[in-house]
Amino acid sequence: MNVKRLTAGVMAALVAFFGSTVGALAQDRVGAPKDKGLWLQEAASEQAAKIADFNELLLWVILVITAFVFILMFYVMWRYREKANPEPSKTSHNTLIEFIWTVVPIAILVVIGFVSIPLLYYQDVVPETEFAINVTGNQWNWTYAYPDHEGIEFTASVLPDTAHIAGSQERSEAEQALSTFLGHPAKLNARLLDTDVRLVVPVDTRVKVQVTASDVIHSWTVPSLGVKLDAVPGRLNETWFEANQIGTYYGQCSELCGKDHAFMPIAVEVVSKEEFAKWLEYAKAEYADAGTTAFGR
Amino acid sequence: MAHENPTGWKRWVYSTNHKDIGVMYLWFAFIAGMIGFTMSGLMRMELMEPGVNFLPDLFGMTEDQSRHMFNVLTTGHGLIMVFFMVMPALIGGFGNYFVPLMIGAPDMAFPRMNNISFWLMPPAFTLLLLSTFVEGTSGMAGFGGGWTAYAPLSTYGHTGPSMDLAILSLHVAGASSIMGAINYITTIFNMRAPGMTIHKMPLFAWSILITAFLLVLSLPVLAGAITMLLTDRNFGTTFFDPAGGGDPILYQHLFWFFGHPEVYIMILPAFGIVSHIVSTFSKKPVFGYLGMAYAMAAIGFIGFVVWAHHMYTVGLDVDTKAYFVAATMVIAVPTGVKIFSWIATMWGGSIRYDVPMLYAIAFILLFTMGGVTGVVLSNAGADVPLHDTYYVVAHFHYVLSLGAVFGIFAGLYYWVGKMSGKQYPDFLAKIQFWVTFIGVNMIFFPQHFLGLQGMPRRYVDYPDAFAYFNKISSYGYLVTLTGVVLFILVMAMTLFKKKKDCPDNQWGEGATTLEWTLSSPPPFHQFNELPRIK
Amino acid sequence: MAGDVKHDYHLVNPSPWPAVASVAVLLLTVGAVFTMKPDAELFGMTGFGKYFFVLGFLGLVYTMFAWWKDVVKEANQGDHTPVVRIGLRYGMILFIASEVMFFVAWFWAFFNASLYPHMPIANFGDFWSVIGNEAPWPPEGIETFDPWHLPLMNTLILLLSGTTVTWAHHAIQHGDRDGLKKGLWITVILGALFSCVQAYEYGHAAFEFSGNIYGATFFMATGFHGFHVLVGTIFLAVCLGRSYKGHFTPDHHFGFEAAAWYWHFVDVVWIFLFFCVYVWGGA
Ligand code: HEA
Ligand code: HEA
Ligand code: CUA
Ligand SMILES: [Cu+2]
Repeated sequence: MNVKRLTAGVMAALVAFFGSTVGALAQDRVGAPKDKGLWLQEAASEQAAKIADFNELLLWVILVITAFVFILMFYVMWRYREKANPEPSKTSHNTLIEFIWTVVPIAILVVIGFVSIPLLYYQDVVPETEFAINVTGNQWNWTYAYPDHEGIEFTASVLPDTAHIAGSQERSEAEQALSTFLGHPAKLNARLLDTDVRLVVPVDTRVKVQVTASDVIHSWTVPSLGVKLDAVPGRLNETWFEANQIGTYYGQCSELCGKDHAFMPIAVEVVSKEEFAKWLEYAKAEYADAGTTAFGR
Repeated sequence: MAHENPTGWKRWVYSTNHKDIGVMYLWFAFIAGMIGFTMSGLMRMELMEPGVNFLPDLFGMTEDQSRHMFNVLTTGHGLIMVFFMVMPALIGGFGNYFVPLMIGAPDMAFPRMNNISFWLMPPAFTLLLLSTFVEGTSGMAGFGGGWTAYAPLSTYGHTGPSMDLAILSLHVAGASSIMGAINYITTIFNMRAPGMTIHKMPLFAWSILITAFLLVLSLPVLAGAITMLLTDRNFGTTFFDPAGGGDPILYQHLFWFFGHPEVYIMILPAFGIVSHIVSTFSKKPVFGYLGMAYAMAAIGFIGFVVWAHHMYTVGLDVDTKAYFVAATMVIAVPTGVKIFSWIATMWGGSIRYDVPMLYAIAFILLFTMGGVTGVVLSNAGADVPLHDTYYVVAHFHYVLSLGAVFGIFAGLYYWVGKMSGKQYPDFLAKIQFWVTFIGVNMIFFPQHFLGLQGMPRRYVDYPDAFAYFNKISSYGYLVTLTGVVLFILVMAMTLFKKKKDCPDNQWGEGATTLEWTLSSPPPFHQFNELPRIK
Repeated sequence: MAGDVKHDYHLVNPSPWPAVASVAVLLLTVGAVFTMKPDAELFGMTGFGKYFFVLGFLGLVYTMFAWWKDVVKEANQGDHTPVVRIGLRYGMILFIASEVMFFVAWFWAFFNASLYPHMPIANFGDFWSVIGNEAPWPPEGIETFDPWHLPLMNTLILLLSGTTVTWAHHAIQHGDRDGLKKGLWITVILGALFSCVQAYEYGHAAFEFSGNIYGATFFMATGFHGFHVLVGTIFLAVCLGRSYKGHFTPDHHFGFEAAAWYWHFVDVVWIFLFFCVYVWGGA
């Protein structure tokens, strides 16, 4: 621990001691899987909300189709069982019905298409954004850089299981370090989702995300922000998001990348714009042009 | 033509008889299926509880080794089920045994090549199994890069010989399948009995014909792709290595150009089997025969132009994605034609619910469920939260494990009497059906929820919030295990029977294809005088 | 037990070759892996790779020889009735179709690299500064062949050989044994010549096989073509040998036809290679 980090730690402890309402609020929302959850994670961006709406539409469509097939099948199974219908008919053609079951699915698909394609373009075409974040997937952690902010750069790694034992020394240390980093009191939420430091972004701000990888393919994913983009070595992929609620949002690497594929989660801290400005000060002091993290393979 | 028929081991090893070769394929698929099934059990047991506990305990490994081991299991399970269970069973097994019977041919077009198609499978399988015992990456055994073997994880991500063995395994299995496919196409085009026009040919033969075309046209591309992996790994080429201007995404294009047709390769033969069974037990001819045949052709054709729907998140440009969305959804139309035609075949029929029919009906219902989730995934926008999650795993097990595999079970119960001359014990078989049916649904239905909640696939350990449905899924495996044990029991009781008690036509008036005109089992050489079709 | 066979299909006698080939293939592949990775261990053993490989290779070559010898024997004893010959035709066409798809993979790799070239990123640290720069094709520092030099000559050689094989074919059809032999001799020689020219060209390449995408796509695509030329040449040479033994009749010479089809296929692939890889991709 260097001096700068130490002062920041003391600062954070002070903030925590005197109680920061902003910090408390920031913890309000947690975008993570819920126990026995049945549906998509709650949306925290317009994009994710639209995706969820579309998925819901699709769910209804497929439920109706499946129900139709099941009911039809059960009816036929019952009505034409051997006992009820000893004499089978010999019909094997009916042009009208064949026409109908070709055209109706087409119509359904066309309707789906009219919702699907605009959504795709909305998600995929990166609009005007305020700043960019460079994300690099490594075996097995994520490096985040803020090229528009004096090259702030740091790497986020998963916290070990032991940091999640309630009341343990390691837990309080990890929360302490995280609070220091974020500039407000922070607590850990879930095993395999929490990282030592988090990506910090302001609320209601369009952010461009540029993703690549330094070794094998990874995939940068945050379900509640509606983002999943592969990190491919040698390629730069771009997407965007605009978080509309302060909170912590989790995701997990979504492309098989070797032994610790399950152990390189993504944690995004969405903070108010003011707090982000404050955080930038801290991060610049701490991480600006920190040089390149041990890249290469 | 003088013709000696060797007995003993030579009968099988030297075989040029399509029925013997078909039987060998089925046994092979059964053994591979057991291994693949066991691997899935190890995976499910590991995933029963959060934390990495089961594999370390079972194998006495470190946690690191277990993490890698899990990926090796996933990879091996996928590859074995696809290349060494479903394909040999449906295509090599049933295709070999029944295509010549159904089209009234005395054997396959190239009987000796038929035998090498089979005999390349054991070395291919051996290579794959060997690969799990040699170094994969940094001192740990086995290749753990998924059945898709994406570069660069499969090149500089796994530098040991394990991946090389896996690559050559696929080369050999691929060569076997290509030769098999050429054999089927030639047989079907050239050896139909007099009067059997292509438009009178049974649907199973149609399904194998189309499958064979998919194989001939798609497998060589896979061969090319994995050859590139091989040279990247061993001879310093840079097809997929950005350090030399290569492109990892190229591999994915090549793989999926093969991979998507491959999934139809696995399902079309099952379509064919189900058509026969539905018609037999409804005592009605197939409804919309031509539509059924051409729907399969359409599925096969469109199947070649939709591959990038597996790559919606790799950074394709948006217009490309839009195209693949549209093209992929189109496949729902011919598939719908099939589903509805099966129901229409039953409509007005006089339906008996023997075990093959139970499996066929379950196939139709469960395949529909798997198919419609495919349509959800085909929408690039909706795919973003779902890609590479358990939703995809649920989707493809519904079409594969509850689709293709139910097709295999259906076919086996339908034809086991014909092949062995012995009838299966009906009551026990019905129990086997229900146990398996409940078991597999219990495994895979909850996985939809896991996927929607965001659980990524190929994960050895997961956040505790996913524990509940993972547990149900793993319990479902135990139910299925009971089903599989029952299955072995049923088959043993059938095959070890002393008496041949199966009549020529076990299923009565509904069964109209040519195999039912022969004895059970059919003579070693059937149709010495070709049948004439009116 | 065969009974009275009343059809013209060929029920092949049981044969050991498939199973022998199976063993050979296992030896060959395991051997290949442990030759490429000589230090790797299989159950604690090392260094066996090359022996397995050689043994497997010889086994496979022997099997092919024995197998095709059987085929030739069967052909000569009349097993290949007209309907069987139609089947053989289907078989050969489908085999060539699968070969075409194999080459599709290599052309795909080539066009992927040449239409959308990527900057080589030797050191990941450079990535963020390199990205977005226009990458040229052929890549920087690659000196390509002049297509109008040796490659053009090879094109002419292959085109010419296409005509000579057709000459041989016509000769067969008209019972002109002498023309058959002459045509085949010239074709085989032209094929061998092509291979020599290509070997010479490879020896003088100003770029490497490894380390860059240009070399990778170039050598693998032309290399696999070259391998097919060798196979085709051997196939034609076998036909030449058979023609000396008096095989082939004017209306029954599928072995020859298969070789000729294969040769034309190899020819067409070359035309595509020439125009895409050498002419278009080399400039
Ligand atoms: C037998 C195998 C099989 C079959 C038949 C299918 C069938 C389909 N699959 Fe599936 N799929 C796989 C095996 C299969 N798939 C595998 C193995 C993977 C994962 C590979 C991997 O990554 O490891 C996969 C992955 C996969 C993806 C990629 C998901 C991702 O990784 O993000 C997509 C996306 O489009 C997809 C779509 C489809 C579609 C649209 C169909 C269609 O063919 C389905 C058509 C059927 C129906 C729609 C039902 C019946 C129709 C009706 C009742 C008519 C009315 C219906 C409508 C109007 C909708 N599949
Ligand atoms: C046909 C293909 C097939 C089949 C049948 C199955 C069957 C099963 N699969 Fe799987 N699976 C795949 C293809 C298949 N799978 C693929 C391609 C992947 C992706 C791999 C990857 O990510 O790289 C995968 C991945 C996969 C995962 C995800 C792993 C991960 O992401 O980490 C899981 C997890 O639960 C799973 C479970 C199971 C289970 C419990 C079964 C079964 O146990 C269900 C019950 C099955 C049976 C009852 C059938 C048994 C069959 C026989 C015994 C043969 C009989 C044959 C004859 C008699 C001839 N499979
Ligand atoms: Cu990184 Cu998976
Ligand atoms: Cu697909």
